[in-house]
Amino acid sequence: MSAAFRQGALIALGGVLLGIAAITLARKRLITLRYAVGWLAVGIVTLVGAAAAPLVTPIAKLFSMTATGVLLAGATGLMVAIAIQLSISVSGLQAQVRELAEAHALLANRLDELETRAPADA
Amino acid sequence: MSAHVLVVVPAWNEGASVADVVSDLRRHGYDVAVVDDGSTDDTAAQARSAGATVLTLPINLGVGGALRCGFRYAVEHGYDMVVQCDADGQHPADEIAAVLDAQARTGAHLVIGSRFRGDEPGMDVPGNRRLAMRLLARIASTAAGRPITDASSGLRAIARPLLDEFARSYPVHYLGDTFEAIVVAGRAGYRVEEVAVTMAPRLSGQSSARPLAALVFLGRAVIVSLGGLGFEVRRAEVSEPTGVDERRPTGRRRRQP
Repeated sequence: MSAAFRQGALIALGGVLLGIAAITLARKRLITLRYAVGWLAVGIVTLVGAAAAPLVTPIAKLFSMTATGVLLAGATGLMVAIAIQLSISVSGLQAQVRELAEAHALLANRLDELETRAPADA
Repeated sequence: MSAHVLVVVPAWNEGASVADVVSDLRRHGYDVAVVDDGSTDDTAAQARSAGATVLTLPINLGVGGALRCGFRYAVEHGYDMVVQCDADGQHPADEIAAVLDAQARTGAHLVIGSRFRGDEPGMDVPGNRRLAMRLLARIASTAAGRPITDASSGLRAIARPLLDEFARSYPVHYLGDTFEAIVVAGRAGYRVEEVAVTMAPRLSGQSSARPLAALVFLGRAVIVSLGGLGFEVRRAEVSEPTGVDERRPTGRRRRQP
């Protein structure tokens, strides 16, 4: 068994485990379908890439890299893309939480004012 | 005609001092809104019993978040100006008059109360922190187009239309509500002034300024300054009041929201 085959098998196993983890987390409602699909895509790309490692060899030679290195670089790039997307989502969520908290405080104050005024109006 | 002024006091676990601060402000005749920033103590009850309007945030947002909530309250209730004031007693109510006088005299949109401008020695600030404050002051001065000596002062007056802009967009991160607000306002063409004030020691508690956070912020400040990455406000429609030196907006045009 060649070293390239063993490395490909290991990468493929990583892809499968990532896919299983994504599906499991989604079934437990720990992550939304949107992110489950994203991580599943990374797993599938890794799996397919490992199987198609020989096809990557010409690209690897172009950059003086091994096929395994090119596959790992690709998978890393996908994960960086997901991490950036998550940063954008979290930033948006922080802004939304802030808006809601401020609106809550202003509405609670308005309610207090109305409740204080209500007995006098009655 | 005197401006309709609201004093906004952001407070996080300041139950030991906020009642004294509010009472002092009320004695001077100011309307006071305390923004309880997710406190776990009796800050809200203390402030309310002392005569303040209390806005209670359900979670801790940080000083900038509390201030924006106060600015929104002021805009919704038709106030012309907000004076922001700390809940720990460092900003005596007497000094607010100096800030308001400076605003009335100059027509500035943002007036900073400075610890370092007057004849008195000011507050005792450690050497490394003072160095950082000087760096911030230099960047703020460039943005404001006039000398700023105390860019991290939390005693300041904000007048409309800048108040409307800050009610819409205001940073929550560490010290973003002080230094960055000056930089953004100055670059957008709003008039920034500074006046000497005397500040008092804290009535209780400790400063939230941590050395590591301060270091991170310094890095941020440089990035904000060089990269124009501050929060966004619409540019001022420049109509300088008479009797003050004319100044053209210094900043580049910002994207309209």
